[in-house]
Amino acid sequence: MIKNIIILTLNDLAISFKNKSIFLILFIPFFVYVSLMLVDEAGVDIQKTRIGLIQSEPYAPVILDAVQSADTLFSVLWVPDEEEGKKQVKEKKIDGLLLRSEKEKTGLVLVVLKKESVLSLSIVEGFSALQKAVEGHNMNWISDIQPLQEGGIQQQTLPTWILMLALLVSFIIMPAQIAEEKEKKILLALLQTPMREIEWLTAKLFLGMILISIAVLFLHLMGGFDFGNALTYFAFIGVGSFCFSSYGIFLGFLCRNQASARTLGVIFYLPHLLPSALSDFSQKLSTVAPFLPSYPFFESVKSILLDHNGIATLIPAWIYLFFVGVLTFFMAYRLMKKRWLM
Amino acid sequence: MQIKIQQLTKIYKEKRGLLPIDLEVEEGELIALIGHNGAGKSTLLKLLTGWLIPDRGQVFVDGINLKNRLAVVRKIGFVPETPNLFDFFTVGYNLRLFARLFQVPFQRIEEILKAFNLLPFRNNKIQVLSKGLKQRVSIGRSLLADPPVLLFDEPTSGIDFDMTKEIYRLLTEFHRSGKTIIFTSHRPEEIKTLATRIIVLHQGCLVFDGSPQTYFQSEIHEKLYQ
Repeated sequence: MIKNIIILTLNDLAISFKNKSIFLILFIPFFVYVSLMLVDEAGVDIQKTRIGLIQSEPYAPVILDAVQSADTLFSVLWVPDEEEGKKQVKEKKIDGLLLRSEKEKTGLVLVVLKKESVLSLSIVEGFSALQKAVEGHNMNWISDIQPLQEGGIQQQTLPTWILMLALLVSFIIMPAQIAEEKEKKILLALLQTPMREIEWLTAKLFLGMILISIAVLFLHLMGGFDFGNALTYFAFIGVGSFCFSSYGIFLGFLCRNQASARTLGVIFYLPHLLPSALSDFSQKLSTVAPFLPSYPFFESVKSILLDHNGIATLIPAWIYLFFVGVLTFFMAYRLMKKRWLM
Repeated sequence: MQIKIQQLTKIYKEKRGLLPIDLEVEEGELIALIGHNGAGKSTLLKLLTGWLIPDRGQVFVDGINLKNRLAVVRKIGFVPETPNLFDFFTVGYNLRLFARLFQVPFQRIEEILKAFNLLPFRNNKIQVLSKGLKQRVSIGRSLLADPPVLLFDEPTSGIDFDMTKEIYRLLTEFHRSGKTIIFTSHRPEEIKTLATRIIVLHQGCLVFDGSPQTYFQSEIHEKLYQ
């Protein structure tokens, strides 16, 4: 009995090697390790908080001196005006912008992206500690926090869920379905009909786009979330679903069977999801994430839903997603023409 | 002639496959393609259906190059060894889907269901059918567009005696109706019963091409089944 259990266990391990599931076991810890390396570390090498100050703003000299002298905590960047400062906060070039409070003469207004974020909390804590060191009492210099992105925590997390849904359909569902049709030779049966390769690919593309759109729509209806700038939003959901569905089809063509497709899907799913979704929490991740197509999609959706931005500022991201979609669709077409791993 | 094969070659990474082959097939022939496993039989059939892309060489069907897939797709029907149908759907759904793609009227489905005794199973899902029934649906599907050439890869493999007899009957009927048929087989009695011409492949090379009488008297047959 024990001998049989050992034989069968070894056989199952061999299968996991064969269908590449074992790579997931190796890949996920490796990926977590790399992500943790990229997340800003606490301690000696802590990333300084980048505080924007407006050149023409008459800040209280005591505050100005304190902020500038605390160079281990803050790095000060001067911006010409409030509008430019807010723009830089949105673009994550600075972490917060300090304005003079209109209500309290000595007070400051801190402009941040999100009020409830860890970063905002750390800025407030930093200022509080600084003020205590300089003045010895605990009346906050920061009298108000002005977030640039509105909405509660549910609305704030919405772009992450949307990205997750889009990637789930594209990298988990689509490659497995393509690989299944290849594995069971159904695709070859279809190719014995007068159907063109491009027609099959387009149908698969539409399937991915429809599934993503339904998932996003369902999420909005369930949560009662508004669509922000609706036209721009639909343009991005459209191009994002096109880009990722094409990507998923391409991945499906790289696999001979469903098991491989699932493994490859997860291998692509996590690196596309986590750096983008976590980029708000780490400066290092926010420099790495833009290399992935998921980042412009995530950032654009966030910008539309939370900042109500229009298409004008997002055109480069839209073009980039469209380009990635066209490129991966073309590569999938080439693989299909070559009957790759069929 | 109906099929002309010129220097057709397909080599896999494992060095197996099909070495350059030249072959001509006349209309109405019933050809048995035989040889050991790995001889290149299935590879040749898959090349003729466009499932595989050849490394070199050309195939012409009624004078049309096989590279022009859309032009020859209605001329060749292929029945693989393992039926490749949509398992989660019914017999009727599978046939309707392919009828739509072939742009043939649904009346043709009724004819197929009747001819293959599949009427009682039209609403059954493919996954609950026996292999023999699946094979009948698969043959029926390949006939939707009424192609003049039919290719069968081991059509009776894993099928019981009654269903095997039924498939022999169907092959004979197709042959009588003037269709050109090429099938692969490992069964001498099957080859003897059905074939009008025998082609033997060995390690990717064509080693015999002749009538069943000549083949069964030749050394090749003895070597093949020793």
